[in-house]
Amino acid sequence: MEQNVLRGKAWVFTDDVDTDLIYHNKYLAETDPKKMAQYSFEYYPGKEKFAKEAKPGDFVVAGRNFGTGSSREHAVYCLKELGIPVVLAESFARIYYRNAINNGYPVLFVKGLSDAIKEGKVKDGDELEVNIATGEIKDLTNGNTFHGDAVTDLEKDIMASGGLIEYLKAQAAKK
Amino acid sequence: MGKTMIQKIIQRASGKEVQVGDRVWCKIDLSTARDFGGPNCVLQFDEVTEKGKVWDPDKIAFTFDLQAPAHAEKVANNQKIIRDFAKRQGITKVFDVNWGIGQHVLLENGLVKPGDVILGTDSHMNLLGGVGAFATGVGNTDIVASWINGTLWFRVPETMKITVNGSFARGVCMRDFLTFLVGKLGADGMFFKAVEFYGETIEKSSLADRITLCSMVTEMSGKVGLIMPNGEVLDWLVKRAGTEVLDRVQTLKADPDAVYSEDLHFDVTGLEPMASCPDAPDNVKTVREAAGAHIDQVHIGSCSNGRFEDIAAAFEVLKAANFQISDSVRTIITPSTREVMKQCAEAGFIQKFLEAGVIFTNPTCSLCTAEHYGVLPGGDVGVSTTNRNFIGKVGKGSHTYLVSPMTAMASAVKGVLTDPRDILK
Amino acid sequence: MGMTFAEKVLGKAAGYAVKAGDVVTVEPHFCMSHDNAAPIAKTFKKIGVPKVWKPDHLVFILDHAIPAPTDEHAVNHKEIREFVEEQGIPHFFDVTSKGGVCHQKMCEEGFALPGLIIIGSDSHTCTYGAYGAFSTGIGRSEMAAAWATGKIWFRVPESLKITVKGKFNKGVSAKDLILKIIGDIKADGADYMSVEFHGPAISEMSLAERMTLCNMGIEMGAKNAVCPPDEKVLEAIRGIEKTNEWEAIWADEDAVYAKELTYDLGELVPCVAKPHTVDNYASIDEVKGTKIHQAFLGSCTNARIEDLRLAAEILKGKEVAVRTIVIPASWRVYRQALDEGLLETFLDAGCVITNPGCGPCMGNHEGILAPGEACISTANRNFKGRMGNKDSFIYLASPMTVAASALKGEIADPREVL
Repeated sequence: MEQNVLRGKAWVFTDDVDTDLIYHNKYLAETDPKKMAQYSFEYYPGKEKFAKEAKPGDFVVAGRNFGTGSSREHAVYCLKELGIPVVLAESFARIYYRNAINNGYPVLFVKGLSDAIKEGKVKDGDELEVNIATGEIKDLTNGNTFHGDAVTDLEKDIMASGGLIEYLKAQAAKK
Repeated sequence: MGKTMIQKIIQRASGKEVQVGDRVWCKIDLSTARDFGGPNCVLQFDEVTEKGKVWDPDKIAFTFDLQAPAHAEKVANNQKIIRDFAKRQGITKVFDVNWGIGQHVLLENGLVKPGDVILGTDSHMNLLGGVGAFATGVGNTDIVASWINGTLWFRVPETMKITVNGSFARGVCMRDFLTFLVGKLGADGMFFKAVEFYGETIEKSSLADRITLCSMVTEMSGKVGLIMPNGEVLDWLVKRAGTEVLDRVQTLKADPDAVYSEDLHFDVTGLEPMASCPDAPDNVKTVREAAGAHIDQVHIGSCSNGRFEDIAAAFEVLKAANFQISDSVRTIITPSTREVMKQCAEAGFIQKFLEAGVIFTNPTCSLCTAEHYGVLPGGDVGVSTTNRNFIGKVGKGSHTYLVSPMTAMASAVKGVLTDPRDILK
Repeated sequence: MGMTFAEKVLGKAAGYAVKAGDVVTVEPHFCMSHDNAAPIAKTFKKIGVPKVWKPDHLVFILDHAIPAPTDEHAVNHKEIREFVEEQGIPHFFDVTSKGGVCHQKMCEEGFALPGLIIIGSDSHTCTYGAYGAFSTGIGRSEMAAAWATGKIWFRVPESLKITVKGKFNKGVSAKDLILKIIGDIKADGADYMSVEFHGPAISEMSLAERMTLCNMGIEMGAKNAVCPPDEKVLEAIRGIEKTNEWEAIWADEDAVYAKELTYDLGELVPCVAKPHTVDNYASIDEVKGTKIHQAFLGSCTNARIEDLRLAAEILKGKEVAVRTIVIPASWRVYRQALDEGLLETFLDAGCVITNPGCGPCMGNHEGILAPGEACISTANRNFKGRMGNKDSFIYLASPMTVAASALKGEIADPREVL
């Protein structure tokens, strides 16, 4: 299989998933990203066991405004450390978006995903195939397809470098 | 073509003519971190730079508000990481556990001017837009990048113009307007945008009200809400931050022909007390509609509504109720800063609150962090002037109504969710 | 032959004359529990008795972690509220401005009365000896049993008589006396014993000072510690007595003691207990200049209005050099401090004034130490890790020494700033 094509199980979330639901306040004192994974979605009703049960390669699939709320980068680290390769959402909250880009963590903007989730067109446990280069998303369980847009402009360059710090290092080296 | 405030601010900071959608690198006037996020910044900075020097120690500040004083070993250690780093780097702007909520402390200490570009590890950093600063919450990687280079990239946002006219009825205040607005526009109603506030209601409003207004822009996913200081707020700011404020107000105000993505008008006359009901900020009803709901705890405070004026408004309600609160609820007031706490002491408020059974804590983020004062047990219901009420936010399985300080105190008086107009007759 | 205080009180409760070494079963007048009422209630339920023996003899005072700082504490508090409701317990101090540190509240609210037998599920229950009560800390299981049966057994203790005379020099206070005594006789110097404080200097002391002395009885191993129920005590309890069963009882002149000690206040100097034991006495001269990172003025030992006044006098018009946490012992104390302008003095000096409660004393919240940090504290224990971190250091001292040290950022002699 092509390197850009990923397969995994869908974990489906609603609109406006806030940072406390992704990574609760209670664990903010943690400074080691590796230890953050275990708290992922602990406060999300019905997904309390996400951190234990999600497998590396599974996808987080959400509606609008994913990651609304706090500036905590923990909410990106925890999913990245858990091996979630990409977050698919209709849209991302501003700070969450920056934090993902700054860590070279892929996010795809998927039009219509919010409604698709509400209408049951993509469900928990569905097998997904995601091409992160083209943005094509196939729900192999029910045949539905979606299209995700990867980031553009400066964000694309930062992503390509692997994150903001790496980007700045590369820029400094050029000079 | 005219420019909006945010365009002018970004132009000043980037040295470039900018258009909406451009990505530009801006000079940072102040890059701050708190006891939350701060240690992550320090550890990352030390790793990335191999314990290098920050770009400018005078443009970095630390505030301790989330867990002040430290409530756990890990927290104590995190705070120490910051103190040690500040010492090593020669950073003197360290506002330790005795100061209060970061943005408020920065304001009171004259570190914020209109047009400043300010970063912080706090998603409500943008409340500093209440004095015309472009302040924004970011993660630790952004902070670290700014400490290395003194710059950070931004996308120039669209600007939404909101004009607010009319006068609040007795028992109704800016927080109610905000709650109304969140209900109207939704949790992503200002998505990525800057917002400029105008109109007579805004012009007459206190700094506290402007802070409330701009802090809640975050809850509509806005980038920053901006109000150019005028009147008493301007006088206050000049006293704290110096006369440069006056030049900034002139040079950075929006052009009359600036282009806005939306132009919304509201009139607050006739507005009622509003509540964000469990379990989302945009689940908005009038307090009248939700009145009588069972509650276990009332909390007044936070960066949104923890100023002296907010506490004074709650005091008015308590006074009208003869300084009696219900036995069935626990009521906690947390002032935003030590200065505010002192104002409350001088005004004789604290004494009266205590007489009524209310608890008064030291200035901190308190309940908002869910690790400090008044975590709710599962099933309990809180009434709070904080800014978020997702399920479990302040204790696993708990629920919260977000309201104004007046509604909060009215609810403490009656022991159930209560419209303050029922008390302020 | 004369009798000691313990022999008289326990004999009265048992209904027959007793002497040291006898075992008696008595009915306690009050049973005090704080946040640990929740686990005790769970044990109580296992016993199988549906109702507590006398609901109005139980007193619950939340103070250890208030308002709840974590999910676990919040749930714990809720369980207590439910138990209070279910059992109809009238004496419950919840998270409101009527509360405070449990031992302070027991004294303020008229539970601590001369001649009463009071048990508490907290080791510093011995504090109420300042009011002439026989009070002692017990474990959770024993408390659950007491709730169920209304009975508790005691071995009548031998007694240690400490006679105190003379006057404090400037900058020296009751805390320095008790730290000196514990330093002399060590942490087990009064094991199982009843400690009686006698002498003209005790009569001179305020109840606040006597509470400081009795509070730390447990730190020398005592079962209880007690001062004479003199006119000052009777004055303090007038009108607030929660029961009329009390009686001013005191030891006979010719009582027999296992040990007798005498102290002259005029010979004392400001002092500290160095890490990591309470009996690790050092005079101020030995430790002066030791770097500290935090100062804590609070706890059931030394956070009464008298203590706050002494500290405020030193801090007035100055600024602290380290983070300084002030926690009044109760909301009543807090309000008095507010009225007297002490809280404004503390705020102006840069202190944090939190809501009354135990604060960081046993590592729950409001000022936990980081590794390598040192704290000077008015509390009663400096065990390794007591304030939440095993690699931190706690020096126990008087309010005056703590205030003087806060100003300097190092351990300082209060006599130099007074």
